[in-house]
Amino acid sequence: MRDLDPFIHFEAISKVFGTVTVVDALDFHVARGEFVSLLGPSGSGKTTLLMMLAGFEAPSGGRIHVDGRRVEHLPPYKREMGVVFQNYALFPHMTIAENVGFPLKMRGVARAEREAKVKRALDLVRLRHLADRRPSQLSGGQQQRIALSRALVYEPKVVLMDEPLSALDKQLREHMQLEIRALHRELGLTVIFVTHDQGEALTMSDRVAVLNRGKIEQFDTPSGLYDRPRTRFVAEFIGETNLLAGRVAQRQGEAATVVLASGGSVTCDRAGPFETDSEVMVSVRPEMLHLVPDAAAPNALPVTVEDHVYHGDHIRLHLAFGESRLVARAGRRDAAPPIGSTAFASFAPGDCALVAP
Amino acid sequence: MSSVSRPGGAAFNAVRLAFAALAVAFLLLPLVAILPLAFTDSVFLVYPISGPSLRWFGALAESQAWTRAIVNSLIIGSGATVVATVVGTLAALGLRRELLPFSGLLRSVFLLPMVVPAVVLGVGMQILYARMGLASSYLGVIIAHAVLCVPFVLVNVASALASIDPALERAAASLGASPVKVFRGVTLPLAMPGILTGAVFAFATSLDEVVITLFVAGPNQTTLARQMFSSLRENISPAIAAAAFIIMILTFALLLAVKGASLLQGLRKKQRVQPSEA
Amino acid sequence: MSARLKALLLVLPLIVFLGLFFLWPLWMMIATAVQGGTVRLAFPQTATAIASWDGAGPPPASLQAALVRDLRTDTPQERFGDAVRTLNSQQAGFRTLLPRTARAVREAGEADAFDLVALDPRWSEQGYWLALKRSMPAYTDANLLAAVDLKRNDEARIEPVEPDFAVNRAIMLRTFVIAGQVTLLCGAIGLPFAMLAASVTGWKRNALLIAVLLPLWTSLLVRTAAWLILLQDTGLINQTLRALGLIETPLSLIYNRTGVLIAMTHVLLPLMVLPIYASLIAIPRNLMPAAAALGAAPLQAFRYVLLPLAMPGLLSGSLLVFMVALGYYITPALTGGAGDQMISSVIAFYATGTANWGMAGALGLFLLVPTTVLYILYGRLSRTPLVQT
Ligand SMILES: Nc1ncnc2c1ncn2[C@@H]1O[C@H](COP(=O)(O)OP(=O)(O)OP(=O)(O)O)[C@@H](O)[C@H]1O
Ligand SMILES: [Mg+2]
Repeated sequence: MRDLDPFIHFEAISKVFGTVTVVDALDFHVARGEFVSLLGPSGSGKTTLLMMLAGFEAPSGGRIHVDGRRVEHLPPYKREMGVVFQNYALFPHMTIAENVGFPLKMRGVARAEREAKVKRALDLVRLRHLADRRPSQLSGGQQQRIALSRALVYEPKVVLMDEPLSALDKQLREHMQLEIRALHRELGLTVIFVTHDQGEALTMSDRVAVLNRGKIEQFDTPSGLYDRPRTRFVAEFIGETNLLAGRVAQRQGEAATVVLASGGSVTCDRAGPFETDSEVMVSVRPEMLHLVPDAAAPNALPVTVEDHVYHGDHIRLHLAFGESRLVARAGRRDAAPPIGSTAFASFAPGDCALVAP
Repeated sequence: MSSVSRPGGAAFNAVRLAFAALAVAFLLLPLVAILPLAFTDSVFLVYPISGPSLRWFGALAESQAWTRAIVNSLIIGSGATVVATVVGTLAALGLRRELLPFSGLLRSVFLLPMVVPAVVLGVGMQILYARMGLASSYLGVIIAHAVLCVPFVLVNVASALASIDPALERAAASLGASPVKVFRGVTLPLAMPGILTGAVFAFATSLDEVVITLFVAGPNQTTLARQMFSSLRENISPAIAAAAFIIMILTFALLLAVKGASLLQGLRKKQRVQPSEA
Repeated sequence: MSARLKALLLVLPLIVFLGLFFLWPLWMMIATAVQGGTVRLAFPQTATAIASWDGAGPPPASLQAALVRDLRTDTPQERFGDAVRTLNSQQAGFRTLLPRTARAVREAGEADAFDLVALDPRWSEQGYWLALKRSMPAYTDANLLAAVDLKRNDEARIEPVEPDFAVNRAIMLRTFVIAGQVTLLCGAIGLPFAMLAASVTGWKRNALLIAVLLPLWTSLLVRTAAWLILLQDTGLINQTLRALGLIETPLSLIYNRTGVLIAMTHVLLPLMVLPIYASLIAIPRNLMPAAAALGAAPLQAFRYVLLPLAMPGLLSGSLLVFMVALGYYITPALTGGAGDQMISSVIAFYATGTANWGMAGALGLFLLVPTTVLYILYGRLSRTPLVQT
């Protein structure tokens, strides 16, 4: 369904500030009703991309289509997008009701209808009782929800959010994540959500675009990103991973045998585009690495246990494999081998991915 | 500096207290001392005052020269305030985003009237006005005062504009407000306290202006300050204290009005409710 | 419309306004100071004719005829008046001679051969014609030189004016001395005051700050008037001192240097306190305790921590006070004696008293230049904005 209905379509979009290319010829679509996150380190161009969509930055090249219409030349106030800003941007000189009613007033909606819609929008975030307060009299979480309700009140086609939760404390943030998810489902919104918190991106989104230096490294479902990273950047940026340098010795269909630089060889079911003899990294998540007593297990690597670190719900084992250091994750009830002992670290061929070094 | 347990701390604190008292007295004594003298009954400006009486306010009201001067001050002050507030506010808006080349230089030049000695500007204005035929006219005095008032408007409006979060204006635009509506609905109301403060300082500046007035005004445009200056040179009578009283009250009333308004706003901001999450 | 164009359109009214009514007047003042123009404008034909006269022999008939023609034309009254004033400042006597001659020339009608000497024997004196010639150059440094008590002698060499007329340098020096004294006094009171205000909190700090801001918001004229009243022989200060038995006869506190320094220090003190306070308040609160914890005695902490941190503010404040004090007119005019007048009062005297705008402009330039230099320096060095409100 997704690719049949490219509701928002970025076509070779780029942005150059002076001599610095901040967004580099991006191509991607977002389907109607989809929740897409833009995830990336600071300075990777997330805000810039969002601001080009909202109309606050003019692209240096490329096109943006929304619902089949080109929008690059429309001023922000004609784009019909709801934007939620990082620090909420509530108007301090207006009451909450006036804030939420502002977009309706700008559209010439009659007073009676406006009041009804404002009430409904406030009900949506369960803050109707605050209608007559000023923004400065609200807590951070309340301001956040008012900003959301203001962006939704005129039923925009798309809702853009730039790190909307980053100013909230952890508990409130998790609460708001669920609330935004619920609103997304309930109202059938198309949401583009900027964050640099990978947990937030993985839990909330239908798909996540990982940005790095103005380019999309991978645009995939959360599980696709985690289980099948296609680049070293994604493997390292999303979650935690062990990377083993090596060279492809042999390909068998989708699978490949990799000779490791630290000695030994492993097989991996998802070899991606790498041909025989190409230098690669084998990426294995810590929880996929198991300690076994004998070398008969698949992909068994001889390791020495260097340290245990207690983490409450699990224990992390630091392992030495030749020159490389590996991390494995053990349940707290597993019998962890004592520090200094030797064992084998093993993983299933289906639990690893090859990425470029 | 503020440790109390230190040996010798008591003596040190006594010195600090004495200094503070003397300095505050020095700063405030003249302001406090002149006010009661406006209500003296005597013809001398001395304490203890005999009275209280409104005799000298009466003298002002009866004197053609003083009433005329008060009216002139109000006319010229209002005119200069309007001119300075309009051009100063526009310029502050134009300089806001530093879009123009030499924005910094322009800003420095715009503040120069505050720095250039009044007498120097007065000489130049007198020469210019003689040529333009503006000498001894209300328009001429209003313009000259406006030149001196502009920096105060500029500084106040610029700082009000600088404290507006640009995200607010972006938010308004994203919510469907055209640039004109963003300005009228968001920028202008948020800058208003700064504009009003600037206007009050402009008015106070014009009210207090003597030097340029000496150079460009004719006898018909004598202002309250100008009139006070010449009476101070001729004979010091309690009428001067009464005039000073009027100037002080006028300035402080206006200042309190705008500062009080923004103070109230500040207080309202502080009474945040405790987060009561749903 | 591009954002840049919009910004330009918004700033344009102020550029035009200040260009027309601020920069142009300053420029006119400078131009007037260096132009030999007033006389040239009033007597254009004489100007041409006099250029070919070397000033040695008697003025040729052609020159006299040119002057007569100029006097016959309808010169605007104002321009003629300016020229007469300028000439009179070169050679006393022109003030009566020229109007009289002009009247006679007009009455005589078109007859070309008008005998100037027959009308007034002064026209036979070399000095009048030489003064005329000297007043005719396009540009002149006469005013600028006179502003610093110099002049050109008849051989056009620069030499000091007669000691009796040499007053400007002394007044300029006095201006700088008074501004310096006021700056020192403001620093001596302002620095500890700002430190005190920064070291206390709550209502105490507010009270100290209000004590600084109230005078700042009060009319300069009112403050000066207040000092005038307080410092009189029968004023509150002398009364109090006498009541306390400290003095027998009143101290003379006004119409002398003491009065000027007291009033100016009071007026300018806020400009010193506020920048110092601003730079102190930016210091993290725990710096002094930290210094103490590191073993600094209170005086050492003051000397090595607080004072260096207060320096930028002290510098800004001093520049500001000095710069503003240089141009003061009202306060010294009201509280000082004849020996305490600053350069501004001399400028005002030339401009409004004698309408000698050339001299006023020249002296103005000598005040404008140091002020502008200090302003630029202030902009470079200072981190605090020019006005705090
Ligand atoms: N107006 C501008 N002029 C010049 N450079 C800019 C401008 N705006 C952004 N940049 C640069 O573009 C790059 C990308 O900025 P952007 O704000 O899009 O990053 P981001 O991914 O949103 O980062 P963050 O997570 O910190 O918000 C940064 O290096 C930034 O310095
Ligand atoms: Mg960003």
